[in-house]
Amino acid sequence: MLTVYRQLLRLYPKAYRQQFADEMLAVFVDARADIAKKDFFAQTIFVICEILGLIGGVCGEHLRGLLGPDSGFQLPTRSFIMRNGFRFPKTTAVLMTLILCGVVLAIKRGEEIAMSLPHVNSPIVPIQPVHSTMLPGIAFFSILFYSAGLVGWAILFALRRSGVHRLAQMWGDQK
Amino acid sequence: MALDDMSRQAITKGLPLTEPVLLILLSLAGQPQHGYAILKDVERMSDGRVVLSTGTLYGAIRRLLEYDWIERFKEKKEDVSRGRQAYRLTAQGRRNLQVEIDRMKRITRLASLPVALKER
Repeated sequence: MLTVYRQLLRLYPKAYRQQFADEMLAVFVDARADIAKKDFFAQTIFVICEILGLIGGVCGEHLRGLLGPDSGFQLPTRSFIMRNGFRFPKTTAVLMTLILCGVVLAIKRGEEIAMSLPHVNSPIVPIQPVHSTMLPGIAFFSILFYSAGLVGWAILFALRRSGVHRLAQMWGDQK
Repeated sequence: MALDDMSRQAITKGLPLTEPVLLILLSLAGQPQHGYAILKDVERMSDGRVVLSTGTLYGAIRRLLEYDWIERFKEKKEDVSRGRQAYRLTAQGRRNLQVEIDRMKRITRLASLPVALKER
């Protein structure tokens, strides 16, 4: 995890990295040591939040570099990073954990089967190591989720069902 | 632009504050703090509702340094490494925090009026 974190830190602009990378790493190490005492679910949430926070931060800093410091543009990452009004059903969490365990077990089983097979023919194409495809994968899925979120929000806005419209409606009702 | 307008604009830049930024400033209001202490303080003050990631925290710290609301604080301890940098509020940051708290008090007062009237 520390290696992934370091790699993600390298995606920040150089000036930002020089100023904050060491501090961020130190804080992350402290936070990780603290979360290690908690359960698996809390640790998973921590990892997801940290990765999304870093990706959001990287995108924000690069966009700030492109649009200027006074652009006021901020990525809508807060709903991912903060657990404000977090309403995650416990049954869903248990189900997701079971699915994750199933996937991990399936991968392990697959590896065992692959190891037990005799290697008669050498592979034609060299197999890419996993770590080289992980970062682009994370970036791809982040962009995908953000796009889906934006599309969803745009649909709600078009249907006048967004938070702004609901607030306006509530305000109208109160009057 | 008149000087008064300019100073007002400088003061109100970045206001109103988002909840994480408000909590970060409140965390620094008492004493200088390191990044990790700020994270824990924010979580404690919000009763676990706001849990900042390091990316979010340092994004906010970078902006606050840029606005000159906080500054790096050099501790006298010899064992302070680069990774344990402390921050503290500047006079401008303290003033802006007070402006925001006053604004929130006004809103709370305004919001409580219709509620109180309805309860009668």
